[in-house]
Amino acid sequence: MTQVDVRQRILADNAAAAAALRARFADSRTLVMNLISSPGSGKTTLLEATVRALGGRLRLGAIEGDIATERDADRLRKLGIPAHQILTGGGCHLDARQVRGALDEHDLGPLDVLFIENVGNLVCPTSYDLGEDFKVALLSVTEGEDKPFKYPGIFSAAEVTVVTKADLMPHVPFQLEEVRGQVAALRPGGTLLVTSATTGQGIAEWCAFVEARLARKRAAGA
Amino acid sequence: MVAARFGPAAPERYTVRPMHELNLATEIHRTCRATIEARGGGRLDSVRVAIGELAAVEPELLSYAWQAVVADGPDAGATLEVEWHPARQVCEVCGPREHEPGDWLRICPDCGRPLRIEGGNELDVLDLTYTPDGQEATT
Repeated sequence: MTQVDVRQRILADNAAAAAALRARFADSRTLVMNLISSPGSGKTTLLEATVRALGGRLRLGAIEGDIATERDADRLRKLGIPAHQILTGGGCHLDARQVRGALDEHDLGPLDVLFIENVGNLVCPTSYDLGEDFKVALLSVTEGEDKPFKYPGIFSAAEVTVVTKADLMPHVPFQLEEVRGQVAALRPGGTLLVTSATTGQGIAEWCAFVEARLARKRAAGA
Repeated sequence: MVAARFGPAAPERYTVRPMHELNLATEIHRTCRATIEARGGGRLDSVRVAIGELAAVEPELLSYAWQAVVADGPDAGATLEVEWHPARQVCEVCGPREHEPGDWLRICPDCGRPLRIEGGNELDVLDLTYTPDGQEATT
């Protein structure tokens, strides 16, 4: 029997693919966000509101990850932005090779901002770097305020947490200040935004955050 | 064989990605095979991996997944040993902090300053043992 020292990251292939994507997005000066949340927390709806607000000023595109159906990509295409659907067929997360495959298969054109909407799941997507500039965690008020401490991995990895469906807050026992405290404890210095795509609350702040981060990336890369 | 079903031969877009731990087990096995093939081939006997507390991996699920990945192949019976690495929470004022597994606090509960996190993200293949082709397994 022979012993061999390997000392290699298990996700080394994903890390290499993500690094290549990051270089590609630096070249194209595209800001890339990886949106992660539970199913049904409103990722696609937030993107629809974002496209309505920013679509006239910025070239936006989206990669949608779902187990089945083209529905999410269709919703965004209807609003006039290029969107590619990755069907994972049961896979619980996107990985960097799938994103590379999507971009190779479907030229989304020159983009200012690319949104990657991950498969609805608060656990597995956290481990896979997609070459994004940062992760965005979404939390709808109907999910309850204990989510950040129950899923600390994603809420400490996400640079920004977006609370969604804020218009429902009067109808559910959701303690916003509790969420604020939990997110601050997991991600000191992170950003928390409170939004409702239905009433438009907080959408301007979210869009301003996206534009500021795009400007920051372009200034750093200039 | 699992590797064939999930291998790179399938079209990228419709490749079925297995669930998290199964995907990791497949990657671990792929790394082992590549390491052994680079040394002339052989049968994998055991592999040791480091898994950190913050890596979002359940060691028991990983062990089940590992058995599924190597079953029915030439490496059937190869063992997977998990070396568990807790994360260390260090407050610059209060010093290292004892914590329960699964406690991801990033703020010192005693003084309110941000905690420094050391380790816990390990997700590495450490080493392996194999029987080179043409040699009988030593028992």
